[in-house]
Amino acid sequence: MRFSRRLVIGTASVAAFLMVWQFVGQREIVRSDLISYPTEVFATFAHLTATGELGTNAAVTLQEFIEGFVPSIVLGVIFGVVLALVKPVRELLDPLLTAIYTAPVIAFIPILVVWFGVGTYSKVVIVFISAIFPIMINTRVGVSEVAEPWLRAVRSFGADQLQIVTKAILPGSMPAIMAGIRLGLGRAIVGLIAAEMYVSISGIGRMIQVYSSAARAAEIIVLVVVIAVFGYVCVTLLRGAENRMGTWRSDLE
Amino acid sequence: MAQLEIDRVSLAYPNAREKSTFLALDSIDLGVERGEFVTVVGPSGCGKSSLLMLIAALLRPTGGSIRLNGKPVVAPGPDRALVFQDFALLPWRTVLKNVELGLELRRVPAAERETIARKYIAMVGLREFERHFPHQLSGGMRQRVGIARALSVGPEVLLMDEPFGALDAQIRQVMGVELLKIWERDRKTIVFITHDIDEAVFLGDRVIVMSASPGRVLEIIPVDLPRPRPHHLRGHPDFVAYRERIWDLLEEQVRSSLHWQSSDDVPPLVGV
Repeated sequence: MRFSRRLVIGTASVAAFLMVWQFVGQREIVRSDLISYPTEVFATFAHLTATGELGTNAAVTLQEFIEGFVPSIVLGVIFGVVLALVKPVRELLDPLLTAIYTAPVIAFIPILVVWFGVGTYSKVVIVFISAIFPIMINTRVGVSEVAEPWLRAVRSFGADQLQIVTKAILPGSMPAIMAGIRLGLGRAIVGLIAAEMYVSISGIGRMIQVYSSAARAAEIIVLVVVIAVFGYVCVTLLRGAENRMGTWRSDLE
Repeated sequence: MAQLEIDRVSLAYPNAREKSTFLALDSIDLGVERGEFVTVVGPSGCGKSSLLMLIAALLRPTGGSIRLNGKPVVAPGPDRALVFQDFALLPWRTVLKNVELGLELRRVPAAERETIARKYIAMVGLREFERHFPHQLSGGMRQRVGIARALSVGPEVLLMDEPFGALDAQIRQVMGVELLKIWERDRKTIVFITHDIDEAVFLGDRVIVMSASPGRVLEIIPVDLPRPRPHHLRGHPDFVAYRERIWDLLEEQVRSSLHWQSSDDVPPLVGV
């Protein structure tokens, strides 16, 4: 059983890491106010949860994330398809898009805060522009690599333009689109937390910023773990969606 | 009046580099009767596949006209269905969903199209494989999916573009026999493109022999061999005579197409 073997080794390595951390921190081999230790982190997590501080701030961050990410998927895929299929649009926008895509989004945070304020709007916008470019550019590449036989097959049955897009082009470029969404997800989380840390009223990033100025290692570690778990859950959900859409991968053809 | 009438059809492609046109098909005249199995042979590049794309209306002729049941062919329609050499299956769809494709594009309700698709999947002997994906099937099985997909829309004319060209020699012969069995059951009109003379004689009621580029109809040869045609017919003296006769017609054409290919139209091989 290879799966259970992997599970055992994985669990053992995590457990070993936690035990060493606990030992080094609790015995003050390294200053525990700098690295904390697992039981303290867990107690802090319980405390932050009990007071409602974590839940309230996480809800704000989650809402900003969803409000920015969902439109970036929808519009990113639509724009990507248009870019791939309409040559004049592509020629016109390619240099601009490449320039924005390669620029670090974090550099745009200050100006976006000026435009959209210190509240949640600027964060939603950051999530949106962080995620839309990788989604759009991956969709574009995926669409332009849709194989000619698939198009020929649907055309031969008299498909109209919309059916060509929905029955051949979109499913045919789905692996590239999903890769773009995964890429966009990572960028969106980075941009969102960075923007909240830069200036905000509430949110996980805001909490990190507050606790870091008070040099509270345990709280910061709790928040970092919360973000990591959120990213992991999102990637798992995406993979589940991908599997549900069929076991098709481009390397199988 | 023939069911399918091809009337002085020409096809020319613009050649931007030389500011000229390349003539792929030159004044093709052909009538195909209802229920007839017509095979088309010709050297590579003679435009025989283009002829099929014209009948399917995936290409427009630059001259002449094509009529089906007396009506001009202007767009792909439910009365014709294509089977391709490269199968052209959708890799993200199961066998069942691939066979449903044509019906789905014509907005046939889900339950109905599933019933129809199952019927044709059974007909091509893939009943146990309807949940499989194309990459899990052999070449011969994939083409059976292609045939089931074409038949499922209930076309009057089946257009087959070198359908067994990507299969190995033994599978090819088996598929030919199976195709004849299916055809003898419902007698759909079939236009079958091939470069394999044996296949053309074995399957066809008539063999259309085409010239090298530009494609013209060189000769139309009625094949007077009994049906159903058993596998061992290929050794019969009459069969051999047909094969020899067609080969005599084609040999010169193949030589001239070789000559054409050795001119500077074809990029030189690099790094050999």
